[in-house]
Amino acid sequence: MQPFALNYARPAAELEVTAPYVYDSGLQLNVLRDGRIAASDHGLLRELGTTTSTAGSKTHFDD
Amino acid sequence: MTVLILTSEEDVTADMVVVHLNATGVPVVRLDPADLTGGVALSGEFVHGAFRGHLSAAGRLVSIGGLRSVWMRRPGTPAARAAAPSAWLAEEAGQALYGMLRGCDARWMNHPDAARRARYKPWQLRLAQRCGLPVPATLITTFPQAAREFAARYPDLVVKPVSGAHPQDPPRAVPTSRVAPDADFSAVAFGPTLLQRRVAKRADIRLTAVGERLLAARKATGAEAEVDVRFAESATPWRPVEVAPRVAEAVRAYLRDAELAYGAFDFVEDADGTWWFLECNQSGQFGFVEVDTGQPIARTIAEWLARPVAGQEAHVNGVSAKAT
Repeated sequence: MQPFALNYARPAAELEVTAPYVYDSGLQLNVLRDGRIAASDHGLLRELGTTTSTAGSKTHFDD
Repeated sequence: MTVLILTSEEDVTADMVVVHLNATGVPVVRLDPADLTGGVALSGEFVHGAFRGHLSAAGRLVSIGGLRSVWMRRPGTPAARAAAPSAWLAEEAGQALYGMLRGCDARWMNHPDAARRARYKPWQLRLAQRCGLPVPATLITTFPQAAREFAARYPDLVVKPVSGAHPQDPPRAVPTSRVAPDADFSAVAFGPTLLQRRVAKRADIRLTAVGERLLAARKATGAEAEVDVRFAESATPWRPVEVAPRVAEAVRAYLRDAELAYGAFDFVEDADGTWWFLECNQSGQFGFVEVDTGQPIARTIAEWLARPVAGQEAHVNGVSAKAT
């Protein structure tokens, strides 16, 4: 009784990376431990993949 | 006047835009509706024929009448993190927040009504056709026989979710996948199934539209590459690419008809250079494209959000202030 499309389902990828930044409500930005703005470090964003189009999100399907 | 950004704290992609707004001195209030009624509060009164409303978050207070734009980026379910969350409270909080915001004159990226409609993939396909974008032959059906006949006409098919959503019990992803030539289509009867002619692609295209500005990026692939670019392990970076005038005209028509200020269009490019429309994500990610290409997507979004509301430059409630 499983719908056809689910024959092609895969386990959802687990995000194992812990982001090295925290949200600063005063700045309204995520900040690295050394105080730099996380969004300004494109190398880090590329490495973490946090700005990447994904699939399997629980809450958002507009990727 | 203030830009209101509705998104989660961990949304570092939104940060890319906040950085630009800060640099130009545009006031920003960022909040997640999930934090109603904890870190986020609201109030609005309808008295003597007028409305006055306010939102507060993290010590910032903003007049709803003083909003120049609202960016619906990645808002959580209203009141999801309240002390006693419930479906009823979520509905109450959503009605209060979005009901009041709907009454203001701010510009939306994107308006919730347009966003909801734009998520329907069958609607997207029809609108793309009407706007003159090439759409691969597609069938959405619960008739197994219709699927078999479609597969006879188009032997090389992919299957993908109609909604774009993924099952959560247990958590699984349903990528766009090639259908085996000997597939048994009986299970089509158990759920609407979207089958589409596979385009032998030489590149994936992500076209990010911000207002009238179109920023396209291209990632070269092999014809037998992973169908779903989100699952492809590729070291090939995205590169900026020009948008052909007829594609640009069709994309702008799509945005106009869909009433969208922002859209992330996915195309695949075939051997002839034709861009085949796959979908338009009304809140699609853009950070990964900007990181690879250096295209100023975040800055363009910030500029769009910062535009003043016509005739409201001197609005009496137009100044956000620190709450005391």
